[in-house]
Amino acid sequence: MDFTFSPEHVALRRMIREFAENEMAPLAMELDREKRVPFETLKKMAKIGLLGVCFPQEYGGMGAGETGYCILMEELGRVCTSTAVNVGTHIGIGATVIYLDGNEAQRKKYLTPLARGEKIGAFVLTESDAGSDAAAIRTRAVRDGDHWILNGTKTFNTNGSYADILTAMAVTDPTLGARGGITAFIIESDMPGFTVGTHENKMGILGSATAELVFEDMRVPHENVLGKVGEGFISFMKTLDMGRLTLSAAALGGAEMALEMAVRWAKTRKQFGVELAHKQSVQWMIADMATEIEALRSLIYRVAWMVDTGQPFSQLAAMCKVYGSEIASRAIDMALQIHGGLGFTRDFPIERAFRDARISEIFEGTSEIQRFVIASNIFREHGVRIRP
Amino acid sequence: MDFTLSEEQKMFHSMFQDFAAKEIAPIAEEIDKEERLPLDVLRKAAQQGFLGATLPEDYFGAELDFVSYALLIETLARDCVSVAVTLATHVSLAAMAILEHGSDAQKEEWLPLLASGEAIGAFALTEPDAGSDTEMLQTRARLDGSAYVLDGVKTWVANGEIAGLFLVFAQGPEGVDGFLIPKDTPGLTVGYREPTLGLRSLVVNTLYLEGCRVPAANRLGETGEGGEIARRAQQRMSVALGAVGLGVAADALDVAAQFAAERIQFDVPIAEKQAIQNFVADSFIQIEALRYLVYHGAWQADRGSDLGLDAAVVKAFGAQVARSVTNHMLQVMGGYGYMEDYPMARKYRDARALGIIGGPTELHRVRVAQRVFAEQDLKIVP
Amino acid sequence: MRVVVILGRVLDPGGITVNRRVGRIFINREKYILQPADRCALEAALRIKDSADCSNPTDAEVIALPRGPLPDDDVLRQALATGADRAVYLVGSPAQADDAVMARVLAATVEQLGGADLVLTGATTLDTGQSQLGPRLAEALGWPQIVDAWAVRAAGERVEVVCQNKTGYVIHDADLPAVVTVTPGSLKPRYPDGVRLVNVYKGVGEIAAALEQWEVADLVDAEFLKPLLEQRGRDFPPMRERGARASGTVDEMAQAAADALYRRVSR
Repeated sequence: MDFTFSPEHVALRRMIREFAENEMAPLAMELDREKRVPFETLKKMAKIGLLGVCFPQEYGGMGAGETGYCILMEELGRVCTSTAVNVGTHIGIGATVIYLDGNEAQRKKYLTPLARGEKIGAFVLTESDAGSDAAAIRTRAVRDGDHWILNGTKTFNTNGSYADILTAMAVTDPTLGARGGITAFIIESDMPGFTVGTHENKMGILGSATAELVFEDMRVPHENVLGKVGEGFISFMKTLDMGRLTLSAAALGGAEMALEMAVRWAKTRKQFGVELAHKQSVQWMIADMATEIEALRSLIYRVAWMVDTGQPFSQLAAMCKVYGSEIASRAIDMALQIHGGLGFTRDFPIERAFRDARISEIFEGTSEIQRFVIASNIFREHGVRIRP
Repeated sequence: MDFTLSEEQKMFHSMFQDFAAKEIAPIAEEIDKEERLPLDVLRKAAQQGFLGATLPEDYFGAELDFVSYALLIETLARDCVSVAVTLATHVSLAAMAILEHGSDAQKEEWLPLLASGEAIGAFALTEPDAGSDTEMLQTRARLDGSAYVLDGVKTWVANGEIAGLFLVFAQGPEGVDGFLIPKDTPGLTVGYREPTLGLRSLVVNTLYLEGCRVPAANRLGETGEGGEIARRAQQRMSVALGAVGLGVAADALDVAAQFAAERIQFDVPIAEKQAIQNFVADSFIQIEALRYLVYHGAWQADRGSDLGLDAAVVKAFGAQVARSVTNHMLQVMGGYGYMEDYPMARKYRDARALGIIGGPTELHRVRVAQRVFAEQDLKIVP
Repeated sequence: MRVVVILGRVLDPGGITVNRRVGRIFINREKYILQPADRCALEAALRIKDSADCSNPTDAEVIALPRGPLPDDDVLRQALATGADRAVYLVGSPAQADDAVMARVLAATVEQLGGADLVLTGATTLDTGQSQLGPRLAEALGWPQIVDAWAVRAAGERVEVVCQNKTGYVIHDADLPAVVTVTPGSLKPRYPDGVRLVNVYKGVGEIAAALEQWEVADLVDAEFLKPLLEQRGRDFPPMRERGARASGTVDEMAQAAADALYRRVSR
């Protein structure tokens, strides 16, 4: 068992850390205040290849694998969760779905510009009646010669308001449901019939764009069907599995930064005649934060290795997601508590981290869904089929 | 032991609920977004007697018992935590301190104005280097003839910008003293308003004292009694903040339960899923426990008993319940719990404050531990 | 246009605490960074390459060399990842090699490469504050030198350098080949390219082949490897003395200041 990172991953982390500290950290508070997406940062990342970190070099990617991608998300999550969400959506689900199930022509036409960061990707699934119950979507796709006509409204979509290439799920056979009735389509944002609706007013991750998307008699060529007709649900579930792991890497980064800030404050702030670092309540909080972070880090990179070596990982990715998001929330909450009033003011970054972290227990599969996936896998091994 | 509310208390409760439904609920989301304290609502609250809630009728107060007062704070907090904390600061920290420690002249001068809302009260104790540790005040009050001259900086002063009267604590010649300082006194400047995670409609400012001359007649209580005055005020506020926690948690549960009953996923309302039921049940249990702790604390205040232990217990537990319940109810609402167009995100942010304002939970735990070990004849120092 | 860049590494000062009271330096975190001035030199070289590639199709080549003895080739790999075309890792430098030795070694390396048009390196080192390497190397090569550059432009047969002095900016120029040292903080260094980085560290592709390893013994005879500097010990600089306050009339204060200065000078 070799637990060391390979040289390219060590070098990659060093490069990304410097990038995050110089290019992202100065903007983080401003993005939150102004509620804007850091387009300039995304361009800088594209220039050095970060927006295709895990994809093979033949498709314009960097070739650093899932481990490299987890490193990217961890380092971004340390500094600015909003930016991590923009990037994670683009790479982890927007582009990955095409990488996993696209044919060669689709990979060349769509994956390559996404990997190069020339275009931005999104993944379009959720609807007002289909949140955790993703199979309950109602967006309809009807065949018309060599095109499909799509009609429907998608909600709570990340990146979709500015992405160029979006992969959306629609019902192609209402009688079949998830098994055989749902198809994935690659959409380009300039297709007639595609409009961006209202932007959501979120509590946090204000530097990421969440909006409603409307398809109105949108014509999509048949060659843009991703995978086979009727197998879209499977593609999407596979993609979400992979996205989970890297989101938890961003959570890890957030938790690490919370720990760093808590330690720095504890060694500076004096109350009752001594630094907070000498108070056992504070020491215990820091010890608990550090322990959970280590456990999460080991879990994440072990699962990244499993992905990179072609092993099944879905069960463990769900564990990473539920554990990672809950650890990050706990760590950031403890860091906020240690900072006292300073943790409550918007002039200091901890409260932003607190607001940003809360979404990770909800999006890309709530913690409840993750627990269901984990329990379902366990019982399946024992021959019992459970339902959500 | 009779755990029922009296007829009068039930009547008051109903009145409070009507007021909140009419004046606060409709604007709660908007005032949070605009970070605005609704002064017109405060005026209406004054007309109802809320600003003199526990003050005697002689001073134009409503002379409510403390249990009714707790019901008032709880009811307001259900719709808007900021308004509830604004009122509690005014009544429990400022007005009651004058009632309990003020001279007749001070009471006659200030209590009617506070009861009518002509002057809003603020309480200035915390300093940049004295957060939890309020014995280490650096604001100084030195005697100069028949007046005191105050110099220092106070932070996290709730109601700062809107206050007509400040109760300011400083190191005087014989220990900590409390001073009643009206708003436009030369040398007193209300500064920066703190932008916050939650309680965004609560007005919180930094206060500057630079050569601020205060007549000796404005000193509250005996010389050196300021520490005790501050301590008792904070204890009253702790019970009030427990009621705030109760209100926000109870409303969060109701909002989420309604959502869960209506939201259909996997063909059934999510209320039928055991994970959701567990969140709701645990929250309900915690809220019930907190409710009776808060009422018990209020009842102790009505009997004039020492609030020390109850205050710490209610505050610590109230913060814990409010934070835990709002967190779980946000999870029940899923993505909708994260959007500011629904009330839960605001309740989550507001509830987080309860772990910090009025003293961090860690401090209250120490107070409880001190009491427990005092019974074993062991003195614990924070 | 062939540009040689000389890069070194230094301990990250963020990981070091100095405790004068106990007279020790604590290395809490042993992390190395590229010398900031050398990174600016590499950036200057890459900008020359960028503009050469644009203005005419003649090859512009950037070659990275090490500033001093290195335990591994990481510094050279970083240079390749950032955009250098080739790099040479020198093994067998004596551990005590000072700038006088390295100047000899690097001059021999440049000759072995077949010469160069321009050599760039950082003007000072972060840890020792030394500015010797550039000038010594210029001497060893017999080339002109321009130090403390803020911006470097090279084309054809000439190099033009903008330097800062106390009052403003000055432009120096020289015939190529020349040695130019670059001030830290003068240019914003670019980030490595991801694909180059992954490949050079994995050791795959053209870029991995561009990293060569040479023996110092093949370049320079042993007698030239003896360092000029001898380290005899380390100590903190003397404590700064408190100044004295003078008061009184202007004349009295002037006299007191003069007396104090005289005492200081005559010690």
